Amino acid sequence: MGDEKVRVVRATSAFDCGGRCPLRLHVKGNRIVRVEGDDADESKDLQLRTCLRCRAYRQYIHHPERLTEPQKRVGPKGAGEFAPISWDQALDTLAGQLKRAKEKYGPESILLMTGAGYLGSLYMAALAGQRLMNQFGGYTTHYGNISSEGAVWASLTQYGSVMVGNSREDLMNSKLVIIWGWDPARMISGTNTMYHLIRAKENGSRMISVEPRYTDTAAVLADQWIPINPGTDPAMMVAMAYVMISEDLHDCGFLDKYTVGFARFADYVMGKEDGIAKTPGWAEAICGVPADTITALAREYAGSKPAALMDCQGPARSQMGEQYNRCAMTLCAMTGNVGKPGGSAGGGLMGIPIAHMFRMPGIPPGKNPAEQGGPRIAGTLDIRDRVTKRIHINKLWDAILEGRAGGYPADIKIAWSMGNNYLNQTGNANKGAKALASLEFFCVNELFMTAQARYADLLLPVTSAAERSDFTRPWPSGPYFCFSNRAIEPVGECKSDLEICGHLAERLGLPEFNPFTEEGILRTFWEKSPDLSEHIKDFEEFKRKGVHRVKLAKPIVAFQKQIADPENHPFDTPSGKIEIYSQRVADMNKPDCPPIPKYLPVSEGVEDPLKEQYPLQLLTPHPKNRVHSEMYKVEWLREVDPHRVWIHPEDASARAIADGDMVHVFNGRGRLAITAWVTQRIKPGVVSIFEGAWYQPDANGVDQGACANTLTRDEYSGGGAAVLNTSLVQIAKA
Amino acid sequence: MQVGFYFDQTRCTGCNACQVTCKDANDIPAGPENWLRLGYQEEGQTPDLLVAYLFSPCWQCVSPVCADACPAGAISKRADNGIVVVDRAACLGRETCGEKCLKACPYGAPQFGPQPDAKMAKCNFCLPLWEKGGKPACVEACPTRALDAGPLAEMQARYGQASQAMGFKYSQRTQPAVVFKPKTPTR
Repeated sequence: MGDEKVRVVRATSAFDCGGRCPLRLHVKGNRIVRVEGDDADESKDLQLRTCLRCRAYRQYIHHPERLTEPQKRVGPKGAGEFAPISWDQALDTLAGQLKRAKEKYGPESILLMTGAGYLGSLYMAALAGQRLMNQFGGYTTHYGNISSEGAVWASLTQYGSVMVGNSREDLMNSKLVIIWGWDPARMISGTNTMYHLIRAKENGSRMISVEPRYTDTAAVLADQWIPINPGTDPAMMVAMAYVMISEDLHDCGFLDKYTVGFARFADYVMGKEDGIAKTPGWAEAICGVPADTITALAREYAGSKPAALMDCQGPARSQMGEQYNRCAMTLCAMTGNVGKPGGSAGGGLMGIPIAHMFRMPGIPPGKNPAEQGGPRIAGTLDIRDRVTKRIHINKLWDAILEGRAGGYPADIKIAWSMGNNYLNQTGNANKGAKALASLEFFCVNELFMTAQARYADLLLPVTSAAERSDFTRPWPSGPYFCFSNRAIEPVGECKSDLEICGHLAERLGLPEFNPFTEEGILRTFWEKSPDLSEHIKDFEEFKRKGVHRVKLAKPIVAFQKQIADPENHPFDTPSGKIEIYSQRVADMNKPDCPPIPKYLPVSEGVEDPLKEQYPLQLLTPHPKNRVHSEMYKVEWLREVDPHRVWIHPEDASARAIADGDMVHVFNGRGRLAITAWVTQRIKPGVVSIFEGAWYQPDANGVDQGACANTLTRDEYSGGGAAVLNTSLVQIAKA
Repeated sequence: MQVGFYFDQTRCTGCNACQVTCKDANDIPAGPENWLRLGYQEEGQTPDLLVAYLFSPCWQCVSPVCADACPAGAISKRADNGIVVVDRAACLGRETCGEKCLKACPYGAPQFGPQPDAKMAKCNFCLPLWEKGGKPACVEACPTRALDAGPLAEMQARYGQASQAMGFKYSQRTQPAVVFKPKTPTR
């Protein structure tokens, strides 16, 4: 054993992470013994440097708590008591339950919960499960993603496109960067993004952070921090528009040429629509930012050309969250920064078209028979159409508990989950626990005994990305493509979701399900996927190197063609222009979807009288030491950032809370126990708990795991945003 | 020759990638033994704040007082590269000795695992990598390129002479082998 040679395997993880980083896995026997990063020569290519998460990859892969054999529930639901069974028993059980539910209640009674737990081309849980269940006869599933639905809706409304980003090198051209609700030091929105920002700063860009927390990003970059109340970003942005219009600082030529509806927006801003002028003073009362600060930022942004207003997705995960991205895009247009090097289009998605996650090939899922006859949903902005046959991702629990009587598309009887931990990662975990416990049968494909896995009747152990080969890529593109080579054989008895579905297909009599071999289908993906075959000429070399970088002559700038040559390159909107006023949205006639961007007060927002009872606004940002709830068990990561609630000294002293105290955070939905971190780095009136810690209710219903979603709401905004940053809470010493 | 580190405090986001890499590269379990630590400073009041992190390995001091303090002669400084190394077989153990090295070190570099009478261990500049022509694992792990390492004279020639940083006090007595680009409290 000691003499066994160490092999070096070029791979990546496949976590639901905004970065994707080449790794060199040192493998001895069937064990990863060391992780090294990209070894590109930095004088020629910037190394794609991984963060702490994948530095701890081997502790995740070989964690002693990995699930390694199928198990069935032997205790009460949710108690986490299981006994091992054979794969044959497990697969027979699941196949039997699927057949039973289909025959007794109809296929729509089966809820398929898919997810982004592993983002590969071939080993993508969602596609394997959907393909199998489509062939089986249908199922009910969910619509939307928890992360970015608000930003997606806003970008589609305003630009008709989700490719709203510039490549990161272009930040070097910005005189001013406004980092608005964005923390790339922790949330990796493209590998090396933070490094590009640092280089831009060292190159002389001024940087301003607008955000309720003084993030690590702000701590390194920001010349100025503007703390703002959560959910009130549109108020401040609208007031900035007021200053620009009042002082004639906006780019009228740009607005005339490239946009529609600015006059209507200006009427709203100046008070002609509703009698309320959206002055900085008006905004100050809402967002907590001094009027002078708002005025100064408006003048500075309008006067610095080019300037990049970098909005993101977090503040959009709010009630009316879509308005944050729409307001940001409107300011980008008012300052003429769209389509210009050093500028930005806003929109919060930050992706570029080459090697984008949205263009990753995958196995064809086919069509869902249970969704036939529904409204046409391709391209629609009307969420009501999308939830006719599906369940909004942040409404799973009500759909299970209420079914058709509650207006949901089906009466759910059994559920099957793969690649997700929605009990933990969507709103209102206590309701989620009730819903999952009410199911007749629940099967979970998992790597760990997650919060959600504890509620399973049947657990199927799944391989990690290190145990299979696949194409991988970052969310917003690099631009580069990765190939992750299989490093080790499956741990224990683990199987991939695709294999599990294949075995089920045999039991369900579906011979068409898996005609693929890993090697064959990956080669087919390469041949058939336009972006892969255009850029990668030698598949074998690509596999050997594990990464293919796309060389750009100059940085990609979103909508550069539309701005340089509008005659021949209209925007992909009905008007062909940037739609500050959207007729499509107006036609929907929904009060929560105004056709122009607006600030509107919301329940559990800063203006809700419920604040008397629950006076603190709760933020639930991305953690740095896990990927959402993935890697939660990895000790190397846990020890560097203990799970704590951020609270300002003013709020702490008013409650006699000292740094390090155990506190309870609570509201009408739940109560959790967590350590307090008393810090000046958060705006008074706001508290913050990183999402992803595992929900773990004790006998008294107190969540000892301190999952942020114990406190959040299972609601969605007009454009589909999950409202996980719109919750009021109170805190007290435990 | 004397090796040394360079740390650009203005670039450090406190991401901990260096620390996790150190544990991976040196096979150290989660727990009290941290060859590399990260200091934290928070100054000012909302919204005028200054936050600084401090990379804290063993600084491979020119005058390693830990070696002088060790009753067993288990700590020595390499003549060829100045790296301060520990002979763990010779170390008396934490309780038996009473942590004399740790008490002597102004930077908290000597580390002990959780087991009773643990032998001291600490950052050795990734000596095995260094001897193969490489740099300490933490350097190549830094996502924002805030770290470098090499001969101290080379680090000083490339990055200047600054030997102070927020949260760090240069010890004339031990002469830590480091060059900083410090974060400065300007507000």
